[in-house]
Amino acid sequence: MGYNVLIVDNSMIIRKMVAKTLSISDLDIGEYHFAENGKVALEQLDANWIDIVFADINMPEMNGIEMIEEMNRRELLATTPVVVISTERSRQRIEALKAMGVRAYLQKPFVPEEFARVVKELLH
Amino acid sequence: MTQLIVDIADMKISDNPADTLITYSLGSCLGVAIYDPVLRLGAMVHCMLPLSKVDKEKAKIRPYMFVDTGLQQMLTKLYESGMRKARAVVNVAGGSQVLDSQGVFKIGERNFTVLRKILWKNGLLMNAQEVGGNKSRTVSLEIATGRFYIKSGGKTIYYDLP
Repeated sequence: MGYNVLIVDNSMIIRKMVAKTLSISDLDIGEYHFAENGKVALEQLDANWIDIVFADINMPEMNGIEMIEEMNRRELLATTPVVVISTERSRQRIEALKAMGVRAYLQKPFVPEEFARVVKELLH
Repeated sequence: MTQLIVDIADMKISDNPADTLITYSLGSCLGVAIYDPVLRLGAMVHCMLPLSKVDKEKAKIRPYMFVDTGLQQMLTKLYESGMRKARAVVNVAGGSQVLDSQGVFKIGERNFTVLRKILWKNGLLMNAQEVGGNKSRTVSLEIATGRFYIKSGGKTIYYDLP
C-alpha cells in the first residue's frame, strides 16, 4: 500500500509540480490530496488518512506555521511527518521550523531530483 | 568488448552486453545516456545546440544535433525497443563553457535548461549529472552493467545504477 500524501500550497502550479515530482520519483504513492491553505489542509487531515504532508509557509487564511502548530496540538496528527517547501531563506526560521517537528525543508524553486532524494531518505 | 562511438550530433542504441557506448570531448554539448536495467538496453546521444527551431531543415536531417529533437528521437527509439519509463536511468554530462569563458552565449547552460524541460515533460528524473564548469568530458555507458563513466582532466568517475 502506498503513502497517502497531502500537498498544501496556495499555488496550483506548485501543487501540480510537487505531485508530478512524487509520481515520477520511483516512490510508492497511494492517494494524492490537495489543499490551498492550512485551514483546508486540516480539514483534509481530519477526513483522510495522510502519511506525509508537503506544505508551504506563506499562504492566505491559515499559513503553514499555524497549520503545523495546530497539528502538534492534535494527538492524532502530531506525529504525521511534515516537509516544508518554501521560499524562506533565513537559517534561524528554518531551524525554528525543525524545532517544531518539521522533518525536512526544501527551498523553492526546488530541483526535482533533490526533492526526490530528500523524500526517499525520509520514507525509506 | 566493442566500443560504439557516438559522434557529434549522433545517437547510438544497443542491447548487446559486449558494447560500450562512448562519446568524446563534450564541451558545451550534452551527452545523455539512458538505460533500462531489465532489458540491458542503453542509448547515448551527443547534442550540440538546445533548440531545433534555429534550423528546422537541418533538424530533419540531423535530429540529434539539437537537444529537443535529439532527446525526443532517442526516447522514441528506446520505447520502440521496449524500454519502460519507470525503469529508465538517465545520466547527463557536458554543458560546460569551454569556448565561452565569458559566458556570452551560454550554450551549455541553455542545452541543459532545454534538457531539463524535455525530461520533465516526459516524466523523467536524472540519476547522475555532471554539467557546467569549463572542462571537457568524455562519457561512456557499459551496456552489460549500466555503469556510466565520466572522464575529465585525467580523472574518471563512474555512477552505478540506483
